[in-house]
Amino acid sequence: MTTEIPTTSSRGPIRNWFRGVLLDWDRTQMLICFTLVGLLALAPLFISSTYYLGIIILATIYAFIGISWNIVAGFTGQLLIAQIIFLAIGAYTTIVLFNYYLISPWVGILIAGLVAGLCGIIVAFITLRYGLKVDYFALFTIALMVALRTLFLKWDYVGGAVGMWFSLTDPSLDKMIFATKAPYLYIALGLVVIGLLIQYAIYRSKMGKYFLAIREDDDAASALGVNTARYKMLAVVIGAAMAGIGGGFYVMYVTFIEPPQVFNLGLNIELVMAGPIIGGLGSLAGPLVGALLNKPFVEIMRGALAEGRSGNSLIVYGSFLILTIMFMPRGVTGVLHVIYLKIIRRFTNNPEGDN
Amino acid sequence: MSPEIFFQIIVNGLFTGGIYSLVAVGLTLIYGVMVIVNFAHGEFLMLGIYVAFWAWTLMDLDPYVAIPIAFALIFGLGALIQRGLVQRVLDAHPLNQIILLVGVSTLLIGLVQFFFSAEPKAIHVSYETAVISAFGLRFAIARLVAFFASMAISLLLFIFLRYTRTGKAIRAVSQSRDAARLMGINVNFIYYLTFGIGAAITAVAGVLLAPNHRMIPTMGQGYSVIAFVVVVLGTMGNFIGAFIGGLIIGVVEAFAGFYLGGDVKIIASMMIFILILLFRPAGLFGRKST
Amino acid sequence: MALLEANEITKRFGGLVAVGNLSLSVDKGQILGLIGPNGAGKTTAFNMISGFYKADEGEIIFDGEDITGLRPDQICKLGLTRTFQVVKPFPHLSVLDNVMVGAYNRTNDSNESKQKAKEIIDFLGMQKMEGMTAGSLSVAHRKRLEVAKALATDPKIILLDEAMAGLRPTETDEMIELVRQISCQGIALLLVEHVMRVIMSLAERIVVIHHGEKIAEGTPQQICQDKAVIDAYLGEVEIDVTG
Repeated sequence: MTTEIPTTSSRGPIRNWFRGVLLDWDRTQMLICFTLVGLLALAPLFISSTYYLGIIILATIYAFIGISWNIVAGFTGQLLIAQIIFLAIGAYTTIVLFNYYLISPWVGILIAGLVAGLCGIIVAFITLRYGLKVDYFALFTIALMVALRTLFLKWDYVGGAVGMWFSLTDPSLDKMIFATKAPYLYIALGLVVIGLLIQYAIYRSKMGKYFLAIREDDDAASALGVNTARYKMLAVVIGAAMAGIGGGFYVMYVTFIEPPQVFNLGLNIELVMAGPIIGGLGSLAGPLVGALLNKPFVEIMRGALAEGRSGNSLIVYGSFLILTIMFMPRGVTGVLHVIYLKIIRRFTNNPEGDN
Repeated sequence: MSPEIFFQIIVNGLFTGGIYSLVAVGLTLIYGVMVIVNFAHGEFLMLGIYVAFWAWTLMDLDPYVAIPIAFALIFGLGALIQRGLVQRVLDAHPLNQIILLVGVSTLLIGLVQFFFSAEPKAIHVSYETAVISAFGLRFAIARLVAFFASMAISLLLFIFLRYTRTGKAIRAVSQSRDAARLMGINVNFIYYLTFGIGAAITAVAGVLLAPNHRMIPTMGQGYSVIAFVVVVLGTMGNFIGAFIGGLIIGVVEAFAGFYLGGDVKIIASMMIFILILLFRPAGLFGRKST
Repeated sequence: MALLEANEITKRFGGLVAVGNLSLSVDKGQILGLIGPNGAGKTTAFNMISGFYKADEGEIIFDGEDITGLRPDQICKLGLTRTFQVVKPFPHLSVLDNVMVGAYNRTNDSNESKQKAKEIIDFLGMQKMEGMTAGSLSVAHRKRLEVAKALATDPKIILLDEAMAGLRPTETDEMIELVRQISCQGIALLLVEHVMRVIMSLAERIVVIHHGEKIAEGTPQQICQDKAVIDAYLGEVEIDVTG
């Protein structure tokens, strides 16, 4: 991945560092991501409308959930379609802990990650122990989602069909309740930064290479000493735990949850899949770039075309997914990569290019 | 449980199962030939029932008269989707195929919702609640018709695949794309045809539901899930397996509905699905793979 | 003592015996050729030895350990790896990353793995392609990459499944040279090959299978004169010699 460059001592160390980053596409992607995060952090200074800030917060949450799915689907190529299961479990865990046991969401969200991770282990164990083929895995997760929706609808402890409201009290930091939108944004951005760093660390490590090898060719990876079942499970568990944490924060922000809302393929597409796919599944910047394009655009469409007709956002999403797969299967980041390579080739006489 | 109730549950289950069979046969046909899991499958059933609704509101057509209309329209749509979209991802990573079809599914739901709204709709015909009583059992006419029509269509399709020249070509392609091509079969044409037929018979299943079913744009998703269960149960790509699997799932659901209540019956199908995936992933009619 | 020993291994598919009671052994650093007409069961035997299929009967001993029934990755950790007849590169990864996946077999450290991968890429003379994606390589280079990945796992033996099939004569010669060099490093090789010229010039001993069963074993000279082999190969030899 890294292109070796002759280090010239005459240049300043910062400039050299910067050059090193720009010559490495992975690190350039991270630079793009952190620039975007920085810009988002400035948003409250310029935007006072709670409506627009709300869209930005949701987009940021989407980015974090997108990263969690990117690790499973983008890196290891596992067709865990209904990732939203883990988000829902995390959300329910957080709200139950808060409403019934008065456990602070700060702790609750972490427990949510743990619980979702455990569920991830179960799902991964079932699917891998019995060596389910890829498309069966996708079917399995969807079936599981449908079954869980029915189960949660009947489960009075978690509110059944009525759903659960987050017991709102006065704003307080330890209950993660704020009077303004800005603190929610900063927590969401914090999650995204952590998510990006985890994703990057995985990507550059042995685990990441193994994940990608599994996605590219399961058998070949296995012949080279990769315990494919173990690494697939690892990816599912990491993704599930992250989605659980994201779900915990999501419910803190939207303050309400009911089974048809979260165990829902439509929301799954909007919240989990659309961002990474549009942004570029399997790339480092994809989930964030995709989420930032996806959420605001759909909100604008909803606002502009609503006029009593529903279905707009579905039409938009459907078209988005189809167009992306047909015309840029590597997403926006893939397009950026091509442009990047052209620029790099012009500035370094490196005809082979980097990756 | 009295024998009457027992047999009534079986009859009800078979009636529902007939529709499941038809939907699953469409799915398994597409899978068998193109090795692609059609995640938009239930949407064709949904489109079928809306075509019936549209024909009924606009032209006052009886749903049964709308069957050929739905067949033709959805056949064209299916062939078009295959030609314009699916064809181009046949060799891509399965993830891309699934995302594409999820996109198609979302788009179709969105379009129907846009034109017909998300509100439930229903067709009203004179025979919608008509019932025949025989042997101490009650047979709802619309469901009786749906059942036998499903059987007939499945049988026709089976005969078509087994005895006609085109049908044989479809089976040849499903066994080996390359060998079929060498034999001079236009494989792409077979693909369009197969997707078209698979979609169209599923749409017919939707029309058959029309006389006594309410419709909403998202109704297809439930049928997709059921169809997945059925084809996995009856072995992916196996025609007869899908047919029998549909009837089995219908009966199981009927009993589950009786004991657990209608809204929880899907749990029973899911349990079967999960058990099959775990203990016999090749399905009831599949050889154990290595 | 033999490095790899297969004792009477059998694999059936349904009623069909793909490989029946096959025994073979490879010594340290040796090159053993496994040949046979199409459909003779060579690849099935490979799949059993490398752990992709479970043998129905018989046992496989590698380096003093019973590896029958182990997974491919466990077997690879012990020092036995394979290449695939239909090459399996990781198409969207760079050549370097491809080889690094293999190198991680013996280390968890990314720098170490990269170092090792670069050495192997140098050894194979593929430095210029390091940054290219594997999917963009030519057939000959993909075959080389396949060997590079296997070498990176630091094996005691490599099972090469038709590494020369589809190559041009000059490319084949390069590959033969490469296999010799690998053998010089003390790595044993089990070759499945269709191109007789390759087998005859490389293998120290040859096992011939037909319909899943061993029909002959010996040095290349012995095999050339074996009546059973000539019968089994009748009609095929002429085609393959030119390969």
